[in-house]
Amino acid sequence: MKEEFKQKISDALDLPKDIVLDLSRIIITGKISIFLENHKGIIEYSKDLVRIKTTSGVVAIKGKGLVIKSIIVDEITVEGKLETIEFED
Amino acid sequence: MLLIKLWNYLRGYVIIKISGEYCERLLNQAALNGLYLWDITKPENNVLFAKSGIKDFTRLARFAKKTGCRLVIVGRAGLFFSILKLKKRKILLTGAALFILAVYLLSSLVWGIEVKTDDNKLKSSIKRDLMNWGIKKGTFKHRIDKEYYLDKILIKYKEIAWAELQIKGSQVIVELVKKQMPPELEQNEPCDIIASKDGIIEEILPFKGEAMVKPGDTVSRGDVIISGRLTLKSNDLDEEKKEEQQEVLVHAKGIVRARVWYQKVVKVPLVKKEKFPTGNTKKAYRINVGNRALRFQLGAIPYSLYDKKVTRKIQLLPKIFGDVGLSSITYIELEEKERFIGMKEAIKQAEEQLEQEINKLESDAKINKRSIDFTLDNDKKHVIGSLTLEVLEDIGLQRQIK
Repeated sequence: MKEEFKQKISDALDLPKDIVLDLSRIIITGKISIFLENHKGIIEYSKDLVRIKTTSGVVAIKGKGLVIKSIIVDEITVEGKLETIEFED
Repeated sequence: MLLIKLWNYLRGYVIIKISGEYCERLLNQAALNGLYLWDITKPENNVLFAKSGIKDFTRLARFAKKTGCRLVIVGRAGLFFSILKLKKRKILLTGAALFILAVYLLSSLVWGIEVKTDDNKLKSSIKRDLMNWGIKKGTFKHRIDKEYYLDKILIKYKEIAWAELQIKGSQVIVELVKKQMPPELEQNEPCDIIASKDGIIEEILPFKGEAMVKPGDTVSRGDVIISGRLTLKSNDLDEEKKEEQQEVLVHAKGIVRARVWYQKVVKVPLVKKEKFPTGNTKKAYRINVGNRALRFQLGAIPYSLYDKKVTRKIQLLPKIFGDVGLSSITYIELEEKERFIGMKEAIKQAEEQLEQEINKLESDAKINKRSIDFTLDNDKKHVIGSLTLEVLEDIGLQRQIK
């Protein structure tokens, strides 16, 4: 109920949803780089798979030769040859 | 991120190897606690490579214990470590410092002297003199006082009209322009003596040649006074030959003194325009880099008439880095006021100006008579002072006979 209410407000007032609903923002650059804002930590990391916890579930990035380019409190940049991006509940 | 990377490069960073079952937990811990890790790779299971700043690394070590990971430093990079490495290589450092010092020292010595003139005799003579006066190979160029040497050259060589001394790199370059001197006549070249000015002959002493005028005669410029063309009367008894007059050309010589008149007129206005400061000033600043100046000021100069005063100069950088200075300029507004100075004052000023004209005359001229008259101009706004000088001077000038 609370989430729906927030969503309605953000729709009505045209506020950015990622801030109002505390969601993560993902920016994908081609097939080489993915930038994830507002994450809750890395769950798993290998060169073929990176799983990152967010408020709306786990984001699984699959690819080849994945490198965490940088990681700070709420930002992660992953680079490599991206193949699939999955949202797990 | 670029800025952070640059900052990390400057401060130095380490490449670390993290091994352990739960490496990801360490990454999360680090991120949560504000440690910055980058370029994280996982080439194989349970082994991570990452880069981290030096300070962050010590804090990371503490978290590693908690999460049960092992940290190993595999590489060091960045300016901090480069300097650290260099510090150990003292000889290399001293060598580099010595090299820079040597280049600086050698480039501040004079290695060549060049005199730019067509006259080879003058060139070698000036070179020799400069060497005697202290400019030679190996002299410090900063110690050379250009004005001093220029004055010396100009005093010694009268035939030089203009000279400039430049120091370009390690070269001292002297540029010259020779005066075009009137051709000196050879001692035995036949010549006349002519009048250089209009005047009345006062005295004539021909040493050689034949006087063509007597004292009291009026001559005008260009007239022959002492002729170098002598006619010889033949003593030959032969009648026929007597008619033929023999001519001999000689180098005429003599002193010709004549009275010469000079007239000078000056005009002095009775109403003088004078400039007074109004008390308004405006400041601007100027940065000098070498000979170039960068001026910055607020708004345009609001005065139509102003005086500029550069007040002070602060050296911004030590001398070695070049001449960089800051100076402040004060613009002082001026006002023009008219002032009636009166006849007496105007006459006095006219007299002063005429006095200066007299001083300009050649020193060997003897002033015989002088008279100064003052009259008022037609429009009664100016005083006209006229000076008449009667001068006794040598007006003789040699001219070649062709």
